[in-house]
Amino acid sequence: MEEVKVGVFLSDCGGQISKILDFEALTNFVKNIQGVTLVARGSEFWRGQGLQTLVDAVKTHKINRVVVAENIIKISEIAIAKAVEEVGLNPHLVEVLDLKDHCAWPHRETPSEATEKAKAMLLAAIEKAKLLEPIEKAEFPAVKSVLVVGGGIAGIQAAEDLADMGFQTHLVEKQPFLGGLAAKAGRFFPTDDCAICVQSPASDLKTVTHTSRKCVYRSGFSEIPNLNILTNSKVVKVEGVPGNFKVTVERKPRYVNENKCVACDLCTSVCPVEVPDEYNAKLKTRKAIYANTPLVYPSVYVIDESVCKFYECAKCVEVCPTKAVELDQKPEQLTLNVGSIIVATGFREYDPSVIKEYHYGEYSDVITHLELARMIDAFGPTNGVIVKPSDKKPAKRIVFVQCVGSRDRRWNPYCSSICCMISLKHATIIKSAYPDADVTICYIDVRTTGREHEYYYEKAREMGIKFVKGRPAEILHDPSTNTLVVEVEDELLRRIVELEADLVVLATAMIPSDDAKELAETLSIELDSDGFFKEYNAKLRPTETKRRGIFLCGGATFPKDAPTASLHAHSAAVKAAKFLAQGKIIKDLKVAFVNEDYCGDCEFCPVTCPYGAISLLPTGNGHFVARVSELLCEGCGICVGTCPVGAIELSHLRQNQISAQMKALLSINGTSKPLILAVTCSECGHAAVDSSGMALMSYPANVRVLKVPCIGLIQVQHILEAFKAGAQGVMIVGCKPEGCHYEVGSQKAQKKVELAKVLLNAYGIEPERLEMFNLIYIEGDRFAEAAKNMTERVEELGQIQLA
Amino acid sequence: MTSYALFLGCTIPARQPHYELSARKALKKLGIELVDLEGMSCCAPPPLQSIDLETSLAIAANNICTAEEADLNIVTLCTGCFESLAMANTLLKEKRELKARVNKILSTAGKEFKGSKEVRHYLQVLMNDVGLDCLRQSVVKPLGKLKVAAFSGCHILRPSELLRFDDPERPRVFDTLIEALGAKSIWYKNKLKCCGGLLRGYADDVALAIARDKIVNATNAGADCISTLCPFCFLTLDLGQMLIKTTYKEEYNMPIIHYAELLCLSLGVEPKELAIDFHKVKIDKVLEKIG
Amino acid sequence: MAEEKQEKDTGLNFPKEITRRLGGETIAFCYQCGTCASSCPVTKVTDRFNPRQVIRLALLGKREEVLTDGAIWLCASCYNCQERCPQKVEIADVIYALRNISISEGKIPNIYIEFANALLSEGRIVPISKFLEKKRAEYGLPPLKPVGMEALRKILSATGFDKIMPKKGEPR
Repeated sequence: MEEVKVGVFLSDCGGQISKILDFEALTNFVKNIQGVTLVARGSEFWRGQGLQTLVDAVKTHKINRVVVAENIIKISEIAIAKAVEEVGLNPHLVEVLDLKDHCAWPHRETPSEATEKAKAMLLAAIEKAKLLEPIEKAEFPAVKSVLVVGGGIAGIQAAEDLADMGFQTHLVEKQPFLGGLAAKAGRFFPTDDCAICVQSPASDLKTVTHTSRKCVYRSGFSEIPNLNILTNSKVVKVEGVPGNFKVTVERKPRYVNENKCVACDLCTSVCPVEVPDEYNAKLKTRKAIYANTPLVYPSVYVIDESVCKFYECAKCVEVCPTKAVELDQKPEQLTLNVGSIIVATGFREYDPSVIKEYHYGEYSDVITHLELARMIDAFGPTNGVIVKPSDKKPAKRIVFVQCVGSRDRRWNPYCSSICCMISLKHATIIKSAYPDADVTICYIDVRTTGREHEYYYEKAREMGIKFVKGRPAEILHDPSTNTLVVEVEDELLRRIVELEADLVVLATAMIPSDDAKELAETLSIELDSDGFFKEYNAKLRPTETKRRGIFLCGGATFPKDAPTASLHAHSAAVKAAKFLAQGKIIKDLKVAFVNEDYCGDCEFCPVTCPYGAISLLPTGNGHFVARVSELLCEGCGICVGTCPVGAIELSHLRQNQISAQMKALLSINGTSKPLILAVTCSECGHAAVDSSGMALMSYPANVRVLKVPCIGLIQVQHILEAFKAGAQGVMIVGCKPEGCHYEVGSQKAQKKVELAKVLLNAYGIEPERLEMFNLIYIEGDRFAEAAKNMTERVEELGQIQLA
Repeated sequence: MTSYALFLGCTIPARQPHYELSARKALKKLGIELVDLEGMSCCAPPPLQSIDLETSLAIAANNICTAEEADLNIVTLCTGCFESLAMANTLLKEKRELKARVNKILSTAGKEFKGSKEVRHYLQVLMNDVGLDCLRQSVVKPLGKLKVAAFSGCHILRPSELLRFDDPERPRVFDTLIEALGAKSIWYKNKLKCCGGLLRGYADDVALAIARDKIVNATNAGADCISTLCPFCFLTLDLGQMLIKTTYKEEYNMPIIHYAELLCLSLGVEPKELAIDFHKVKIDKVLEKIG
Repeated sequence: MAEEKQEKDTGLNFPKEITRRLGGETIAFCYQCGTCASSCPVTKVTDRFNPRQVIRLALLGKREEVLTDGAIWLCASCYNCQERCPQKVEIADVIYALRNISISEGKIPNIYIEFANALLSEGRIVPISKFLEKKRAEYGLPPLKPVGMEALRKILSATGFDKIMPKKGEPR
């Protein structure tokens, strides 16, 4: 066992903090601590001459553990760690503490107390450093291949980006044709250009596209190298780890050979089976063998196996000029080995038949936007003519109803964000084509928040489209005239009106894709309370999920318009590429590990780990042990806080290191006040303490801070230990429960605190000596206040009297 | 023999003994025992809820306590009573704080709401305890040619979250029970809309306008009669036609009949046993059609 | 009393007062969509009552107006609005709460005084005449059982109902 030699470097920050802290006293104190072989004082140690001094000490083997009292902790930490690694010392044998923001600044009014606290802080850092162990890096494979689930706008664009970059990209779409919702929408607002165009990825490859966009059938995107498009396919199983997923995809048979079909349409003319065409909102029929128009990709027909008569008929086989129909095709299972997965499954329209007062499904002239879009589409079932589905007569009076099933606490409480614009789009298209059509939009609010959206609303008003502020109570039907009647209060007129309509269009809600739940389970990622895929953090990580390597984009996270979906898709592609760019994932093993002898098979930790990093492995005699995935572990320590027998530890913060720091921090008081230990998380909690110092707040020096990665790591024992070690009060400071940087740690800590209070009471210690605080960086003033209040409270309670 | 504690409320014994009479006769014939309990006061309907909701809940709970003590479920005839009692029963069973609050009040009278019993309307008793098949078989005089405008009123359907009697937008129970008697339940405009009854005494003109709408719609749809469940609806539409005559100078002669009366007639009870002189609009046409 | 009323009439306090009342808890969810108004059978025939309007005035804090303009007494309690409200505002119950507040301050329409007095004396809101009670036997109906006035009176006293009512002959 190599002898531990600690070097302590005291930075006085250009002489600033030595005005408050007695550096001579500190130097002398540190010199006398066992294990310290070198003490140096200077202006800075994280760059320049100071860093050189430090590096030399390591190089000449004078020291093998480094403790630095420095400023700007994160940057100095990184610089020092890099420098010592270059000369052969493991970078995790460095401990940096902040005597400026955590001591000199907040306690500047009581310099001698500050100095005493600084001594305790240095002692704690040194004792921890003595116990530090080297931590290595590990490499994990990162297969340069990506799976994109969903072939709509977002999926196609993300897939194309990645294929262009050289990643082997698999685009998996469950329908027989690509396009998603966009293929049915006709046109997109606010430019009113073709929806087809917006689907086409603008490949950067000059051989494919020179202009900003191309109609998808002219874009040749399917010929982009590295792009493998699998339609009629679904993801059924995902195994493996980030960087190295094994995905099982099931391909339904098309029954038509992709390499032979010439899309001549002869087969449909002989097919005897006719069914309602779902793609065309059942406004017309299609055959068992069919292709959607307009054709996006592939240009190959498909047979609907649920209605085809197969060999009982086989007329299509006979008539096909290239013998492309193959009724013997079987489902296929493929295994793909990919490094990242992007979810782009989009959204769909809510079925408004549950809103019985609107009679959707009962009165055929009550339709939804997608159905109207099919009518408007010149390729659609009515060749672009707006008619009443009931009798096919032209529809002259059209009423749009907004917020159907959206903003409705009975059905979907959120606002679906794009329906106001869609109604305006459809209303203006109809009014352009039929200037004497009577078009009314019944709304609660008109939401036109995007770029150029307000002008769209203006245009609608200029065209004479009527707006009634009021949500209809009911849609009635007059059978004698086959007219619909919309009963609504025109709030601005303050009267109830009955609007007569040939056609009523419901702006129904946009909801997650119907297999979102299944896919979320398959991929082990989360959905939010509305059923949409949940991003890791909307602000900073809008395309990532809690599971490394799995990304989200497009309408799958929330309904959005085409420009926003594009944005999202390109962003996800960049993230997926970044993840795999090096071909390997390099990680510092600052992770949890299990002492398998102690593991009691209780199965708590796999459940609490927010990253699914812990699995249970059978030991052979009917029991299980927990095993932590080094790749997935984020090093938060919530599992440490969960384990009832202490079988799991963090490699970068062992239990003995915690105890040593605690004892050291509480060993020197130097104030007339009772000692209080504040255990803070390394995220918001510590940031609040940092900021209280940076903002020159003041709080008393009897408050000592111990940093842990996440307060979810805290066990009840830690709290009791703190009191035993001399704390008269304990503060647990962490992120807000809904904003915990490690998802659930803050909430877990809350439970421990409650339990600890009960135990303290049983021991005869006042439970008010323990308190939890949820603070964020900008609440530094609240930390200072909390520290002061806690001190006052504990002073009043007096010394702990243990029986 | 299924037994229920009969809850009469105020309006039926005070103004419409013919409703009580037909209900008792019909249910007895169908094998339901009705027990009259002491300690059943007003149910605390909208007029009392308007004065104080807490008192109304307590009064409703008090009535339910009486039934709990006798270990009987409650059956009501008036749909207003149904709403008041069923709503209170559900609210107090499902909201602990509210139950504690009401029990504190009840304790001053030595009572405690336990939530052990159910409150049902007699239509539910017919559907669930008697059953449609048994009902159909018990009919000796099918009402064959009768076109009935079914009007259940508001308080048996809404608030649907608490009453859970039927689908509030597409109710079928009442129509099914009418058709079980051999009659036809027809569609008419605004079938589910309120009769305006609760506005009588405060804004009679408004109440009458709403009631008139109902009579007109039923007449236009070709109904032989309007069948009611609520005594308030009955009064509003029956007595209301007298007022429509004097106010609007219009005469519709639309018989208003409680379902219990139709039930009795179909079970073979003679009209003279049913105190039909309480009807202001004579029901002779209906009796003729039935034969 | 006047100062108290003035203090209560600020925009902020009235909605809070309503949400603290039984029945009024959900009023603040309203986003003025108007579904209630177009579902209302009363709004259809008269402009003296509009549930959306009542809630709007209440949320704007117009306490005096809401409690005195008479609109709140025109609700027919049909619950159509509450059934259809997309924000699950318990509109009919909110109107009960407003009526409760009005009555607790002595503003009570005559007909409700009659109901309350009948309840206090007989345990029913519609008194049953002796004539009709006798007629019951003629029809073969069993005599009416007592309503349990003792228990009822205790309950009415416990909730303060007996103190809410003004003396006979004191209309709003």
